[in-house]
Amino acid sequence: MECVDVIILGTGLTESITAAALSKAGFKVAHIDVNPYYGSNEASLSVDELVQWATERSSGDHDDAYLQAQAATFPYISTSASTLPQSRQYAISLAPSIIPSIGPLISSLISSGVARYGGYRLLERVGIYESGKVRDVPGSKEDVFKNKDISLVDKRRLMRFLVFAASEFEDSKELAGKGDVPFVEFLRATFSLKDNLASVIAYALAFCVVASEPTLPALRRIRSYLRAGGRYGSSPFLVGHYGGAGEIAQGFCRVAAVAGGIYILGKRVMAVQTVPPNTSVDAQPTSGEPVTSFKYTVELEDLPEKLSCNVIISSADLLPPELRPSAPTHVEPPELPVVDLTGMLRCIAIIDSPMYFAVSSQTPQGSRSEEDGSTSLPDDNSHGKIDTAVIVFPPASLPGGSTSSSVQAMITGESSMSTPSGKWIIYISMLCCVGTTGTPETMLNPYLEAILGLTVSAPTDPPLKPLFTTYYSQVLPAADTLHDGLDPSVLVSPSPQPFLSEISDSTADKAEALFWKAISALKSFHYPQVDGIEAIWPSDTVQEGEDQDE
Amino acid sequence: MAESASGSADKSVQVKLVLLGEAAVGKSSVVLRFVSNEFQANKEPTIGAAFLTQKCRLEDRVLRYEIWDTAGQERFHSLAPMYYRNAQAAVVVYDVTKASSLEKAKSWVKELQRQANPNIVIALAGNKVDLVLPSPSTSGTGSSSESEDEADDATATPGETPGADGQPESLRQVPREEAQAYASEAGLLFFETSAKTGEGVVEIFTEIAKKIPIEHILASTRGGAGRPGAAGARPGARQEGVNLEENPAKSKDACNC
Repeated sequence: MECVDVIILGTGLTESITAAALSKAGFKVAHIDVNPYYGSNEASLSVDELVQWATERSSGDHDDAYLQAQAATFPYISTSASTLPQSRQYAISLAPSIIPSIGPLISSLISSGVARYGGYRLLERVGIYESGKVRDVPGSKEDVFKNKDISLVDKRRLMRFLVFAASEFEDSKELAGKGDVPFVEFLRATFSLKDNLASVIAYALAFCVVASEPTLPALRRIRSYLRAGGRYGSSPFLVGHYGGAGEIAQGFCRVAAVAGGIYILGKRVMAVQTVPPNTSVDAQPTSGEPVTSFKYTVELEDLPEKLSCNVIISSADLLPPELRPSAPTHVEPPELPVVDLTGMLRCIAIIDSPMYFAVSSQTPQGSRSEEDGSTSLPDDNSHGKIDTAVIVFPPASLPGGSTSSSVQAMITGESSMSTPSGKWIIYISMLCCVGTTGTPETMLNPYLEAILGLTVSAPTDPPLKPLFTTYYSQVLPAADTLHDGLDPSVLVSPSPQPFLSEISDSTADKAEALFWKAISALKSFHYPQVDGIEAIWPSDTVQEGEDQDE
Repeated sequence: MAESASGSADKSVQVKLVLLGEAAVGKSSVVLRFVSNEFQANKEPTIGAAFLTQKCRLEDRVLRYEIWDTAGQERFHSLAPMYYRNAQAAVVVYDVTKASSLEKAKSWVKELQRQANPNIVIALAGNKVDLVLPSPSTSGTGSSSESEDEADDATATPGETPGADGQPESLRQVPREEAQAYASEAGLLFFETSAKTGEGVVEIFTEIAKKIPIEHILASTRGGAGRPGAAGARPGARQEGVNLEENPAKSKDACNC
């Protein structure tokens, strides 16, 4: 019998950060995943692995609780039948993300030492799609100065807004009583910004995903992104090598292992026994002594030795049935709530032709416009060629596209170590409203076609076809309802935010909260280590300070 | 770690080296022998180190090895792909007194050929020869080459090592010739080593250094963050890596509003 303090099920980013933090704080951790790869729903996969991932989840007949839960999370998956050569040279992320250069994730990467394991690069470009073209988004005051597409009057308004957004606006007269007003409306009313500029700010600077998003959180995001700009270069965002989140999760897991954590991948939990409480109460040590009795015994597939622990942390889809709240044995997926946003539609496409943004500021150029996209031939050089970029499609910007959601696309290529030379991965994601009919294909194909239109081709060439595509939908879990009725020493890790610019920091924040919850659960077992915990996070005051000083 | 002491980082070439091998064959000991030889003052290994670094001089070049330990993640076959990424060298260790450890080493070599960079330089090291050869510096009987293996609790497996008392040659389970033949067939460098006495240890790293395509690494990491694990050394890849731990003054084209 191997005894540990905490067993963690699932190697998603949240669980992995928490594992590293607990392990470094002196607790013995066993970290287990049913998948043979690290990263769970944030994994970076090769093409072969992605095909297998899709096949396992969409095959319909699941006797396994985890695959059932996964099939409920990913109700629709369709993928190209055949894989690609050099499959292993691709790192395809199930959770594409850009990381703000200043924020909780970067802080925890540095303070935990994980920063030394992975590689990062700056996001090259953020583009916004409007009237058939993709234009660079002016992300800083200097960009605004240099931009020749914006009139002087608009520049002045934009400047005024950027100065405001970088300030401590919470108590400003501009914002008074308007924190909940839709952000686009706020921009128009308070800063007299025209529709196209309000759109750039809301969707491409604040990365709002719907028009109804309220002002205050959007403003806060812009402020933190403005402040992040310049830390490592002009872009506020970093892109992690090898698919980002999945690779970062591996880094945290390695840190946990170096501090003594046990790693077991590709094994399912067969049974969890709870030791009757009276025995563990008897054996409870007085504080200061090492803990020698354990509340849970976990049996793993193909592993003769059982594991014992006192606290279990699990992702929602890996939570063993015997630990679920007892009342309803079979938890029916809740009726779709009457909120308007319930799922993400996603597309992953691999292409073999480089893309270009329209060269801004040069009005007449070799461009042709068509109904649903346009190609701007770059006149001379590879100036506009993109390898790592984000393209934002505001609501109603694309014929045949969504009128209510902003669609975000991310492109990664060789320079983020995610593809072989001459290949690019396009990720497209869109929040989907209840009652939408159609498939991810029908919803996202207009966007994919518009993006494919950015590749250079002679007008006579047939349209570019992706080498490989996967379309899927991902249900967003209702907020942490699973915690009700759980044993206090069983913690369910919250699912990450699904949005491009928010995944990384929100996950780091959730992992920190989960870590402290685990510490308080451990406290009830009288672990001596709980006194004077050293967390991998810088102390709260530092983090708060970043938001509050000026 | 010790790397900060180097004043000529620009001239040294960073080489990521990964260790593989069955538990208790002495992976960490081999590295600690190599690393602590030049850092006598710092003999106590750093527990929980991200990786150990050691410089290796080779004629006009200095290689700086960044040595990654498995941190125990190999125990349940759960090594992350990250472990192999951009590794330019690997040392696969087995125990000459344990035949099964050579079989395990062979499977690690296969795994490297599957997972790692195709140009990786692999060395096979048959450790614990002090147990099978009369060695003048072998002092205690109960101690073995595991004696320094405290670097990483996760990999140290005390109690599995055969005692050194007994008839030395009879403890040998892997004939040198057999391992040598396998190594040449598979294109590996081959050494028999003793982390305890130091025999053969430095040679592993200098021979690897001779075989590493230094010019190639220099070309591919130029202008990058200069770290093999971080910036990557995929041929032809543009090097635009960011070192998160560097926090340069805000550049002039940055928004400072």
